[in-house]
Amino acid sequence: MKKVKERSIFITICVAPAVILFIIFMLIPTFNVFKMSLYKWGGYSNNKQFVGLNNFKILMEDTNFFRSFQNTVLLIVCVTIVTMALSLIFAAILSREKIKGQNFFRIIFYIPNILSVVVISAIFSAIYDPNSGLLNSIIAIFRGSEKTPILWLGDQKLVIYSLVIAMIWQAIGYYMVMYMASMASVPESLYESANLEGASRITQFFSITLPLIWTNVRTTLTFFVISSINLSFLIVKALTNGGPDGATEVFLSYMYKQAYTNSSYGYGMAIGVVVFLFSFGLSALINLVTKREPLEF
Amino acid sequence: MKKKKVLSSLLVAAMATSLLAGCGSSDKAPATDSAPADNTAASNTTDAPAEQTPTDTGDAAPAVEEQTLKVAAFEGGYGADMWTEVVAAFEASHPGVTVELTIDKKIEDVISPAMKAGDYPDVVHLATGREAALTETLTKEKALLPLTDVLDMNVPGENITVRDKIVPGFLDTLATNPYGDGVTYYAPMFYSPCGLFYNAGLFKEKGWDVPTTWDEMWGLADKAADEGIALFTYPTTGYFDAFTYAALASSGGADFFNSCMTYEDGIWESGEATKVFELIGQLAKYTEGTTVANANNDNFTKNQQLILDNKALFCPNGTWLPGEMAEAPRADGFEWGFMAIPSVNAGGSGCSFCWFEQMWIPAAAQNQDMAKEFVAYMYSDEAAQIFAKSTAIQPITGISDSLEGDNKMFYSIYDNGASAVMGGFASTAPVEGVNMLDTLCGTVNSIVSGDKTVAEWQAAVEEASDKLRAAME
Repeated sequence: MKKVKERSIFITICVAPAVILFIIFMLIPTFNVFKMSLYKWGGYSNNKQFVGLNNFKILMEDTNFFRSFQNTVLLIVCVTIVTMALSLIFAAILSREKIKGQNFFRIIFYIPNILSVVVISAIFSAIYDPNSGLLNSIIAIFRGSEKTPILWLGDQKLVIYSLVIAMIWQAIGYYMVMYMASMASVPESLYESANLEGASRITQFFSITLPLIWTNVRTTLTFFVISSINLSFLIVKALTNGGPDGATEVFLSYMYKQAYTNSSYGYGMAIGVVVFLFSFGLSALINLVTKREPLEF
Repeated sequence: MKKKKVLSSLLVAAMATSLLAGCGSSDKAPATDSAPADNTAASNTTDAPAEQTPTDTGDAAPAVEEQTLKVAAFEGGYGADMWTEVVAAFEASHPGVTVELTIDKKIEDVISPAMKAGDYPDVVHLATGREAALTETLTKEKALLPLTDVLDMNVPGENITVRDKIVPGFLDTLATNPYGDGVTYYAPMFYSPCGLFYNAGLFKEKGWDVPTTWDEMWGLADKAADEGIALFTYPTTGYFDAFTYAALASSGGADFFNSCMTYEDGIWESGEATKVFELIGQLAKYTEGTTVANANNDNFTKNQQLILDNKALFCPNGTWLPGEMAEAPRADGFEWGFMAIPSVNAGGSGCSFCWFEQMWIPAAAQNQDMAKEFVAYMYSDEAAQIFAKSTAIQPITGISDSLEGDNKMFYSIYDNGASAVMGGFASTAPVEGVNMLDTLCGTVNSIVSGDKTVAEWQAAVEEASDKLRAAME
């Protein structure tokens, strides 16, 4: 009996640091975000005015917010689909095929992930430069150099896709490495028997590889949602700052502008709550629709 | 077995205590400490003059009270050295006072965490119009100290009040009296005229006259277009505040400008305002094609470079531009030219917005008396000369006489017939989702790219103005 008590005390002490840290740095701030969203507050003084759900009411009529919402959703959808497709293909090629310099490619693909977002935005600034940029120079070979240059960061219909490209370039390596890790654990014997049965490589990919790494793919889908929301803020901040005229405003950059530049901290927190609920809900939804019986090998 | 358990318990206990130790706050602010001078100076904190032991100076001298003044300053284009120098001079003239100077290019990020925890600097030098908008936020929160008694103080060591030393006009603006009620909250510091920069060498070479009216401007645009030169470019739309303010004042006069800044009903739809909107709409047509694509924080210097490369004629900016582009390559015979915004009405005078940085005292400052003394000291000849060495020019009568070269030309713009425009939008309670500067300036990108019409723009500005007027008191 004494042993059991001792044991539970010991366990309590062991988990206490982690629990305390979790409460201080996760639960309390999250709770505060929810609380602050009910106030009209500039962020510094003590004049907090409780306004109930008024911030959310204003939010529902704020066209700029909806624009940032649209942009974020577009980024999540485009970046997720393209990145997932490309990194699955690259991962399958690099782990299943015998190519010279496999490790070299692995490193090359992973490098963008190590770079800081500021560096990435500087690289893409140079690529997208209207006159001397890499992209326009290549395009000029085909359409002639006399035509007016394409304004990758200036055309409001185009600029969000310019961000998509930068984000995909940044993310591919990371997800590729994750997929490769789980592909490595798929037993070789399955492929051997598939070969004997005469299955093509594409059939093998869809019938063996993909089903067996499905749990991993599901996990990365949640990562895609979270990292698209977070990374888009960093890239927007460094590359366009929401411009031209709000065309690349995303959730968090709009939240920053409202909370700080516009001195409406409470309103910014209300946006934070919406972002929180949205990413939570979206991740849950994705988790639900991608649920499959886990296959064992 | 037991040994192992004891050991792990010890380890856990060590982790837990180190966690708690990390959370502990150090309330040991050096405020009332009379510690030796070289105490906990952080890298950016200037040390007090060494060996200050006031009690040792003999009985005759009055006891000097040891105090610490916390000063936070924005490190702008003028550099950080002038601040360390001024602080040293202040300490030398005020025995017993130790100044803790924090200076940074992103000063708001450095001081705001402590401010949220209630630890405020005593004096802050930080202009309005920054992205983090710390100054505006504190203004909207009514967390600033009125500077009325500073203005009536004598400048330390001199027989003249601060108010008399400041160039007339600088204290009657919304950029010093943000609530529009005549009470000064921001002390005007370094000022800089804004206008249009151009390559004077190119004008000489081509034999073009510098336009003085907008009609001449459009004429010049066609001539330049034949040579493949665009009329206009801008670094980012943020620079349109100065441009629009000057154009508004030129179109409707100073009172009209103030009505715009205080969100008077219908003012943005008046004839005078319409002229300004249409003017910018016209200018948008003559704007260099790649400007919008580069009008962001990463690439704005590419737009400024267009002037140096003779690809565009005019660029709105402030006097810091030549310094910012000092290292950039340029066309042969390049020479900086600078002019006011030409008059919007035929025969009127040109206008130049005068931008200046501000210094203020938070209402929550601990050491308010010394803070006021410090602000007053900024206007002493001693301090002004230190600042002027770094070409940071304060609105003190006679200071701009010491300028040389290009800077002399820039600051003489008001002597050459242009009228000065000062101010900015009045402070209101924050209105969620409404940002006047974004609506007024940010939309210019859409006008240039053709995504919005001038009429849509004007309507949006009036709508924002309506919402902000309701939030004014």
